[in-house]
Amino acid sequence: MTEGSVYLDHAASTPLDPRVLEAMLPHLRGAGGNPSSLHAPGAAAREAIEEARVSVAGLLGARPDEIFFTSGGTESDNLAILGLAASDPEKKHVVVSAVEHAAVRGAARHLESRGYEVTRLGVDADGRVSPEDLATALRPQTALVAVMWANNEVGTVQPVAELAEVCRERGVPLHADAVQAAGRLRIDVSSVPVSTLAVSSHKLYGPQGVGALYVREGVKLSPVLFGGGQEGGLRSGTENVAGIAGFGAASRLASEEMEERVRHEEGLREQLISGVLALPGVRLNGHREERLSNNIHLCIDGVEAESLVLFLDAIGYAVGSGSACASGTAGHRASPVLIAMGRGEDEAFSAVRISVGKDTTREEVEGFLGAFSTAVSRLRELSPLYAS
Amino acid sequence: MPDRYNPQVIDHLVRPRNVGELEEASGTGESGDASCGDVARFTVGIRENRLEEVRYKVYGCAACIAAGSALSELVGGGSLLDAARVSKGDLEEALGGPLPSGKEHALTLVLDALHKAIEDHWNKEAGEMLVEGYGGLRTGASGEKTVVVATSGGVDSAVTALLMKEAGYDVACVTFRLHDGERGSRSCCSPDTVLFARDTAHRMGLPHFTLNLKELFDRRVMKDFVGSYAEGNTPNPCVSCNAHVKFHAASFLADKLGFEHVATGHYARVVEDPDGAGVTMARPVDEAKDQTYVLWPVPKDLLARTVFPLGEHRKEEVRRIAEDRGLAVAYTPESQDICFIPDGNYRGFVRKKVSAEPGEIVDREGHALGRHKGVVDFTVGQRRGIGVAAPTPLYVTEVRPKTGQVVVGKKADLETREVRVGGLNWFLAPENAESVQIRYNGRPVPCEIEHVSGDDGGEVVARLAAPVFGVAPGQSAVFYSGEKVVGGGVVRRNT
Repeated sequence: MTEGSVYLDHAASTPLDPRVLEAMLPHLRGAGGNPSSLHAPGAAAREAIEEARVSVAGLLGARPDEIFFTSGGTESDNLAILGLAASDPEKKHVVVSAVEHAAVRGAARHLESRGYEVTRLGVDADGRVSPEDLATALRPQTALVAVMWANNEVGTVQPVAELAEVCRERGVPLHADAVQAAGRLRIDVSSVPVSTLAVSSHKLYGPQGVGALYVREGVKLSPVLFGGGQEGGLRSGTENVAGIAGFGAASRLASEEMEERVRHEEGLREQLISGVLALPGVRLNGHREERLSNNIHLCIDGVEAESLVLFLDAIGYAVGSGSACASGTAGHRASPVLIAMGRGEDEAFSAVRISVGKDTTREEVEGFLGAFSTAVSRLRELSPLYAS
Repeated sequence: MPDRYNPQVIDHLVRPRNVGELEEASGTGESGDASCGDVARFTVGIRENRLEEVRYKVYGCAACIAAGSALSELVGGGSLLDAARVSKGDLEEALGGPLPSGKEHALTLVLDALHKAIEDHWNKEAGEMLVEGYGGLRTGASGEKTVVVATSGGVDSAVTALLMKEAGYDVACVTFRLHDGERGSRSCCSPDTVLFARDTAHRMGLPHFTLNLKELFDRRVMKDFVGSYAEGNTPNPCVSCNAHVKFHAASFLADKLGFEHVATGHYARVVEDPDGAGVTMARPVDEAKDQTYVLWPVPKDLLARTVFPLGEHRKEEVRRIAEDRGLAVAYTPESQDICFIPDGNYRGFVRKKVSAEPGEIVDREGHALGRHKGVVDFTVGQRRGIGVAAPTPLYVTEVRPKTGQVVVGKKADLETREVRVGGLNWFLAPENAESVQIRYNGRPVPCEIEHVSGDDGGEVVARLAAPVFGVAPGQSAVFYSGEKVVGGGVVRRNT
């Protein structure tokens, strides 16, 4: 983050909590033992990992032995989808929602290229999947279903409990990408029968490059990486000890502070929503109530998203265009999430995402609203398509 | 390639120059479309070939906004020729270096919008001239080494521009929009051929203009082509284009720019007649590429200001020149026979434009031999697709649109020793004609010509020294004296 700029892109990545950094430092400065080694430095590393496993499990209502550390959300999603498919190779049908993160979409596309049939569940105008549609889409040959807990772009929360119930009744494993949801929504896998669930550290004030996959006991999953058999044989490779320790600390803090954070974020979110909607030609995307505490996603008539994001950046405000993973790559590509929600391509090009965090202040939000109004009107003056 | 913007881009984004629209613009140009995510609009105020004022608006990414702003700064207040010379590279330089990968399109988009605004200016200046045909040809010569080169994006016209430049001329390139069948026409910018021709000119450091001749081309070439087929004739659209469109439009632009000459990439030569009859056209050095057969209708006063530099070169040399100078066009394929029918299915094209009535296939004595689905499917000399079984091959010998009859006969029936030619254009006195050529790449046949009266300013009858086969009304007949083109006309019906 640039010094002095107001950061409103927490859905892309959150700043590292100083308390998390403290928890990581001993492992960055220390002996650097390999957790698999028998000696004392190795044992110390192992202990840090197991402690983190307990904290991450606590955040999700899981048992520690159901948590497997990975390099992040994308790896967790891939491991779940490819691993579930490979564990039941006779079944060649996969169901995913049309609004999944690129990691899930990409894994599904990969399976498609290997002869799988993929059903992509449509969503309503708010971006929600209907449990009835899911029930209709399931077949005896369905190897797995993937529906995210909450959407990374528009912030809509899916009816995961109902979807999971449909899957449980039909005996089909459900993978939920909870990368955006973890730390913002109460996730309890002991009451919601998902089979696997992906989480990421850097969306909850932990370091980048570390994540985890929850795998319910009894769910069969084949590994996609092979080697030293770490993480119960599911994810070979020497563990990222400092990262995992940081993820553990971040998860513990998230569990402890969730209510307070959510209340704070929701207050800012509402302040932002009412401020931006006061401008003409600005529309909120995603479900009005069933949405993440920190997410504001907008379509702005007559303004193209990238130029708005860079304009705001130049005057000191960092926000996201679409989802951060999709932007910055070559050329213009309308967000498949907005297209699935029935928006036109021109609308999809005008979408920006503002996401607050636990440390965002009311003053920052006020300052942002002024900057936003300036940027939008300047870009509209420039636009040949916008008549005020 | 960087994946972030240079500070110059951000500066133009936050402080864009010349934003807005001129109320009384000489020209307006827009490129892109909302569903692509980018739209650029330029309005220009042009007086005496200077771009006195430029305003722009952009909806799009930061690269597009910044490119529009930087372009308006580069061209505002300067000469039209300098504006038309600004390349993507110049623009990139003004933006502090290469744009992030995938953003290069911004340069094309804003340049295209500016060029369309300038094109709009020319179209306004031309008024009906670019619809009806340019008649106000200037006479007299200043002797200046200035030339407008008609370029298509292909190797021949690019090398033409290059050779003129290397010969010390001030060169301005012009590409004509002729029809909507161009490659890439459906994309939101100009067709690929226009963009490519512009890029090619810019890479040579030359200014580039576009002129919209779609109406003129439709009226004088495409309608004529379709109508001619419907009348049972065999038209040559390149001939009509050369007679009414290409050279006239290039001359119009030359006159507007105060330029002396026009040049095209045709393989032909313009030579001074030693007898003081002014200029005439002559066959090129590369006889395999000879295009004099389609150039005969160029008016003599236009020919007098025309240069065909490729007439002195063989095609292989032209390709080598392009290669040596690093022109990206060096390997482009040869252009189509008929530019507005890229798939070559001209029957299908004509059928879409005119209703085809079924009719009779008859022999020379008038006996019905079968039925056909429309005279537009037939042309004199045709052997395939007649659909009538016969012991010896049948040929179409005549098409009679009035009665809907297609007359067929033996090959010998196609033989003729007399060709009636009208719609004449002479570079030299008709009596100089020694031979006549009736097909593209055909052999000239020795002939004598005899004047006859005609209803459109004279017709001649060419008496051939040897018989020719399958002469169809509508084809060109071009008269030669040795290498020189004496003149030409259109084959008329022998009735």
